[in-house]
Amino acid sequence: MKRQVPLALCFLFGIAMILTQFSPHSYSQAVYREVIVWGLIISPFALVLAVATLAQTHVSRIRFRSEHWQYSIVVFVGMITMVCVGVPFGPKNSVFEWLYDNVQVPMDATMFSLLAFFIASAAFRAFRARAFEATLLLIAAMIVMLGNVPVGDLFWNKLLSLIPGSDNPESWVNSFADGASRFRQWILDIPNGAARRGIILGVSLGVISQSIRIILGIERSYLGGGD
Amino acid sequence: MTNSKSTLWVVACLVFFLCGTYAFSQEPAAPTNVTAKDTPNDDGSSITITWDAASEDSGVVGYKILRNSDAGEFEEIGKQLDANVTVYKDKTIIKGKTHAYIVRAVYDNETSMYSAQTAAVKAKGQWFHTGKVALFLAMLLFSAAILWNIYHARSGKEVFVRRIPGLEAVEEAIGRATEMGRSILYILGLGDVDNVATIASMTILGQVARRTADYETPLRVPCRDPVVLNVVREMVKTSYLDEGRPDAYNEDDIFFLTNEQFAYAAGVNGMMIREKPAAIFLQGQFYAESLLMAETGNSIGAIQIAGTDSEHQLPFFIAACDYTLIGEELYAATAYLSKDPLFLGSLRGQDWGKVVIFAGIIFGVSLEFFGINWITTLLQRVS
Repeated sequence: MKRQVPLALCFLFGIAMILTQFSPHSYSQAVYREVIVWGLIISPFALVLAVATLAQTHVSRIRFRSEHWQYSIVVFVGMITMVCVGVPFGPKNSVFEWLYDNVQVPMDATMFSLLAFFIASAAFRAFRARAFEATLLLIAAMIVMLGNVPVGDLFWNKLLSLIPGSDNPESWVNSFADGASRFRQWILDIPNGAARRGIILGVSLGVISQSIRIILGIERSYLGGGD
Repeated sequence: MTNSKSTLWVVACLVFFLCGTYAFSQEPAAPTNVTAKDTPNDDGSSITITWDAASEDSGVVGYKILRNSDAGEFEEIGKQLDANVTVYKDKTIIKGKTHAYIVRAVYDNETSMYSAQTAAVKAKGQWFHTGKVALFLAMLLFSAAILWNIYHARSGKEVFVRRIPGLEAVEEAIGRATEMGRSILYILGLGDVDNVATIASMTILGQVARRTADYETPLRVPCRDPVVLNVVREMVKTSYLDEGRPDAYNEDDIFFLTNEQFAYAAGVNGMMIREKPAAIFLQGQFYAESLLMAETGNSIGAIQIAGTDSEHQLPFFIAACDYTLIGEELYAATAYLSKDPLFLGSLRGQDWGKVVIFAGIIFGVSLEFFGINWITTLLQRVS
C-alpha cells in the first residue's frame, strides 16, 4: 500500500499531464497550472529540512574544529543576516538589495569569471594533437577562435596574400577571402549542428522512454529507492 | 491658330484624364470579405478576424477593428494596424458572449471606410489541438514500441546492449576509492526533482550506493535542491538496507549545500580540495558550473565519470573527465547497471524510435535532392 498509492497517483497525473499538452481547452490548461502550483507548494516544506541539515553540518564542523571550521561561522553570519533583513522587510528592502548586489552578485561573478581559466586549462589538454581526432579538434578550434575575433579575417587575408598570384583579382586564392569567419560559421552550422541534433534526438527519445517507465511504475527511484 | 487650339484641346483632355484616373485610384473603399471566426486550437479566449488586402495604390494607411459592446454599439479595440495586415486576433473578448466586428480602413486623406458587420461569433475552447495530430500519433507509436519491447523482455529473451565505457568504469571507480581508503563524491547537478536527468542520476546513485554499501566506502552527496535531498536520503538508505548494511549508512553524508549555482560550485570545489575524493560522479543536469567542478576534480587526480543531457556542457566533461555518458547514455545507465529486463526492453524500444527517425532523415534528404519537400513541410507544420 505504501508503494501502490504513489504509483497510482504518478500514473494518473502522468497521463493527465501528457493529455494537457494536446488539449488547449481552458479546463485542461487549468488542471495543468494547478498541478504545477501543487509541485511548488511542496518545496518550502523540504526547504525547512534542508536548512536544518545545513545548520547541523556546520554546527558539527565548528564543534569538532574540522579543517577550515572558521568558514562555517561565516555561513551562519551570512545566513542569519540575510534572514534578519529579508524576512521582516522583504526582498525589496534597500539593505537586503544592497547586500545582494554588493556581496552575492560579486561573489557569483568571481566564480563565473574563473571559468575562463578553467576553459584554458581544459582546452590545453583536449587540444593536444596526440591522436587524429584531437588534431581535428585542434584545427577546428583554431578556426572557430580565429573567426570569433575581428582580427581573424585580417590575419587570414594576410596569410592568403602571401600565396603567389593572390594579387590577381581573378585568382582562386581570392575565393577564400574572409575565410576565418566563413569557415567558423560552416563548422558551427554543419558538423557541429549535425552532432548536436543527433545528441538532442537521442536525449529526447531517452526522456520519453524514461517518462514512460516512471508513469508505468517500472522506474521507482523517485519514491526513495527499493522495489 | 487652328493647330494651337487643337494642341490646347488635346493637352486639356490629357490633364483631365490623368486627374480623373488619379482621383479614381484614390477612391476610398471599404474592406471586403471581412470574416470573424472562433480561433481554432485555443482555449476559447480569442476570435480571429480576417479581411482582403487593399491594393497598394488605394491609399490605405492602416486598419482599426471595432467590436460590438454589451449595449450593441461598436467600439474600437486595440491599436491601429498596419496597411499590410489582414488578420487580427482579438484576445480581449468576454468569454461566453457573442461578438460581431467591423473593420475600418483608414486612408491617408484622413477619411475612413467601414466594412459590413460580420456575423456574430462565440469563442469556444477546443478539447484537442488538431495541429498536433501528427505529434500525438508519433508519441503513441513510440510509446507502443517501448511497451511492446518491455512486454517481450519479460519473457526472458536476452537483449543486447552495446558496451558503454563510462558505465563499465563505475565498478573500477568505486574499487579504486575503496583501495585508497578515500570517499566517493556524487554530484546530482542543478536539476530539480521533476527533471528527468535528475531522476536518471538518482537511479545511478542507487546502484552506486549498493556497491559502496558492500565495500563500506564513504559516499558523499552534496545536494542543491531540498526535495532531491530528501528523496536521495531515502534512496541511499534503502540501498544500504537492501545490501544488508544499514549500519554503514550515514545520513550526514547526504546534505544540503546551497541552491545558488556558483555558491554550489564553490562548495563542491572546496570539498574536492579538502577531502580529495578518489572518485567523482557528475551525473544530471549542469550549466556553466560543470567545468568549474570537473576541472577541480581533474586537478586532484580523482577518477571522474560524468553524464549529462545538457549538450552544451558535454564538451567540458569530455575534456575534463575520464569517462562521459553522452546524452541518452545517461538514461540507459539504469538498464545497463541493473540488467533488469524491463529496463532493457525500454532501451530496445528507444532504439526502434531512433531507427525510424534515422530512416525518415535519409528518406527526407533523398527526396529533397529531387525537389520533393513534403516531408520537410510536414515536419515544419508539426513543429
